[in-house]
Amino acid sequence: MVWTGVSRRGATWGTALLAAVAVTAAGCARTDGGADVGRDSGVVHVVCGATEDWCAATTKKFTESTGVKADFVRLSSGEALARIKAGKGSTEFDVWYGGPADGYAAAGDEGLLEPYVSPNATVIPAEYRDPAGYWTGVYVGALGFCSNTKLLAEKGIDVPDSWADLLDPKLSKDIGIAHPSTSGTAYTALWTQVTLAGGDQGKALEYMRKLHPNVLQYTKSGSAPGQMTARGEVAVGLIFSHDCVATIEAGFPDLKVSFPSEGTGYETGGVALVKNAKNATSGRKFIDWALTTEAQEIGPSVKAYQFPTNPNAKVSDKVVKLADLTLVKYDAVEAGRAKLALNKRFDVEVAQAPKS
Amino acid sequence: MTVLLSEPAPAAGPTAAGPRRPRRDLGVQALIIASIVLVTIGAVVPLVAVLATAFGSDALPRYAEFFTSSVDLTILRNTLVLGFLVGVCGTALGFLFAFVQARLDVPGKKILHVIALMPIVSPPFAVATATVVLYGRRGVISNGLFGIEYDIYGLDGLVFVLSLSLFPVAYLGLLGMLRGLDPALEEAAMNMGATRWQILRTVILPLLAPGLVAPFLLLFVEAIADLANPLVLGGDYTVLASRAYLAVTGEYDTTSAAVYCVILLVPSLAMYFGQRWWLNRKVRTTITGRPSGSVHLVTGWARWPIYGLALLAAAVIVSLYGTVIVGAVTRVFGVDNTFTLDYLKEVVLGVGSEAVLDTLTFAAIATPVAAFFGLVVAWLVVRHLHRTAWLLDLGGTLGVAVPGTVLGIGFVLAYRPDRYIGDFQVFPSLVGGGAIAGGAFAIVLAYVVRSVPAGQRTAVGALTQLHPYIEQASTDLGASPLRTFRWVTLPLIRPALLTGLSYSFARSMTSVSTIVLLVTPETKIITSQVLSAASTGRYGVAFAYCTVLTALVLVAFALIRLVVGAGVSLQRTVTSERQKR
Repeated sequence: MVWTGVSRRGATWGTALLAAVAVTAAGCARTDGGADVGRDSGVVHVVCGATEDWCAATTKKFTESTGVKADFVRLSSGEALARIKAGKGSTEFDVWYGGPADGYAAAGDEGLLEPYVSPNATVIPAEYRDPAGYWTGVYVGALGFCSNTKLLAEKGIDVPDSWADLLDPKLSKDIGIAHPSTSGTAYTALWTQVTLAGGDQGKALEYMRKLHPNVLQYTKSGSAPGQMTARGEVAVGLIFSHDCVATIEAGFPDLKVSFPSEGTGYETGGVALVKNAKNATSGRKFIDWALTTEAQEIGPSVKAYQFPTNPNAKVSDKVVKLADLTLVKYDAVEAGRAKLALNKRFDVEVAQAPKS
Repeated sequence: MTVLLSEPAPAAGPTAAGPRRPRRDLGVQALIIASIVLVTIGAVVPLVAVLATAFGSDALPRYAEFFTSSVDLTILRNTLVLGFLVGVCGTALGFLFAFVQARLDVPGKKILHVIALMPIVSPPFAVATATVVLYGRRGVISNGLFGIEYDIYGLDGLVFVLSLSLFPVAYLGLLGMLRGLDPALEEAAMNMGATRWQILRTVILPLLAPGLVAPFLLLFVEAIADLANPLVLGGDYTVLASRAYLAVTGEYDTTSAAVYCVILLVPSLAMYFGQRWWLNRKVRTTITGRPSGSVHLVTGWARWPIYGLALLAAAVIVSLYGTVIVGAVTRVFGVDNTFTLDYLKEVVLGVGSEAVLDTLTFAAIATPVAAFFGLVVAWLVVRHLHRTAWLLDLGGTLGVAVPGTVLGIGFVLAYRPDRYIGDFQVFPSLVGGGAIAGGAFAIVLAYVVRSVPAGQRTAVGALTQLHPYIEQASTDLGASPLRTFRWVTLPLIRPALLTGLSYSFARSMTSVSTIVLLVTPETKIITSQVLSAASTGRYGVAFAYCTVLTALVLVAFALIRLVVGAGVSLQRTVTSERQKR
């Protein structure tokens, strides 16, 4: 471009444009956000990490039993966190509901959540509550193997029941797992390995590297490998057992859930109050209600078979009983703190490595 | 009546092809201001917000890291290879369909036209899923019919899916241009004894060259910005867009994401300026806008292999969309083929109805605005602006050049908070639940910005083919520039308007990556429902949404054709054929 001959008019336009950009982009954004707190309009805006159906059923039931209106957006936990972070100072959401507590712990560390301990939380077992009071668990789900028995029979392999079974070379490119950066599920699997290795992250990544040649693709969504297994794209999916049960229910009777004998990890689905929420009073009401048996018995009616954290809630017979499993000691707070760095290491050291 | 002009680049002097710069008329000035405001609010400000993050002090070490890391460099190479292959394959496919449509004497062309338009009317996500179901490792066709276990995950699958989903832009643009070509040129060549092949090579292709470069550019840029497909079908093959998305949604790391996006912008801009330089090197225009003479359709044996190729491609497209439709009314396609209407009921009468209504409303508002601005920007760029033309042209293209996820984040960063100067509110919050109109304004704006470039590119291509003398004749007779635009230019480039409208609507209805970050509790959007349903494994519902969406867009296409008309060139072909008899 010839710049020497820029006309006077061009210069004027340029200046006007620059000024406009400066006013809108660099102009002061009011970030104190304190002005609106306390004005409660009687609506709860929920950012929801559970399935669409579950979110819809939950908000509807909440309105029915409390009279407080509620609406929701469904976002995966990574997206939800980014949205809450972007809206810091003038939040659009009041409550975050559903999705692994690791993400809640990370949000709490960043000062995006308001501590709130509901009076109803006393019945919830202590291991499903945040010691700092940022979040409270509303459900628990164990990690498991979701196998396509037809495919495994064709290949002459038994249904895997240990972490070591997954390393079988016969399963080359036949395992589905999500990427821990996007998926809480996959991060739970990764942190489970860390726990099994006695806290040694290097050893955990070593296992993932050995698993790498057997992985077809690291999907974005944690439950996607369940679908891939159901369609026979892969033989085994590494997912939450309740997602596998839901997939079987959706019309894939050939699937089978199994658990590793060495011990498996689990997620605690959280609920938390967003910092500076505009409808904080209604938001607290939602959290109180989410811990009741009424709220926690909704799941099975919309094919969500997580285990309720309220010990008094009825448990559907399709739900995997945690008492029957060997569980690792899963520390969501610790996991949340290590999440960012460990995922980066996973991405560089495992996910991008050549397969051979 | 036709002159082949070879002139030096107009950008070098004041103008070689056009007249001396006339004093700008008020209407034109108003349009310029409106275009600048739209581009600034819709693309420049969000981009500046992202760039401010990408060049913050904590981001700078990331660049050194990027260019020393073999992992990151592989991702960059993957991205470029993908863009190139999709650009070539998609443009070739578009040309194949356009050529069959405009120049072959074969049956069933109307049906082929509809089939060629199908890919733009549903989210690419649906195509990728259907591809896995049909042609994947356990595909109904690949495995069930031919017994092969083809591993579709990776570069080959991506090129396949992206070429099929994106080629309609190339098709529509090239079709408009092929029909705008003056058959007299070919007649002349034929009279001098040239063969069909020689005419294609030495007359048609050089005349179409600017038109071929435009879709190539568009496909390249769209392919490297695409997000849904690498996430579904990428396998080991990581590209910049999916890496940036991972950084945002997984690592809460907007800094890294911004860095990846800046690096992604470089090839996009390089392609853009490469194309400009290329276009300016040679100016080929057919002087009459309205071609005279009659088109000679190919009637020899050579039409059959070409036709066969197009039919094969059409069959693949039909199979993919068939899967979407069948998948919407069976319990689990390929496993449990029981007929069910539950999924469709849920979408049309149940939870989905709100999303369908919201999406339709927003898209209906955005479409005319986007198509109008696409044409206006193109017209201003080609005819009225000179030294600053490239700036506006670039601004208009930003909606496509900037990956959707980045634009979405830019919107959030720039428009989330209320803007104050002192105590005076200058700019209300546009994004999010608390914003004006429940965040709907931001969604419509995003639709418009994402849709403008398609119409703009096609219109630039069409206007480049149209010599300015025609418009000058009108202005010389005293018509104002706006009047000339309305009554002379617009009718001549009507196919481009048709493309602009159709594509804007389809694109709005199917836009995913930008919108996902902008939906609020009060505004539900079909595509985000599709993603949500599909990622939780409810493929039946996802397919049902896609079916409804496809139906809506096809109806809209019919309406647009009805309102705008099928284009003058088509009428001309009909009348000239009548004259032959």
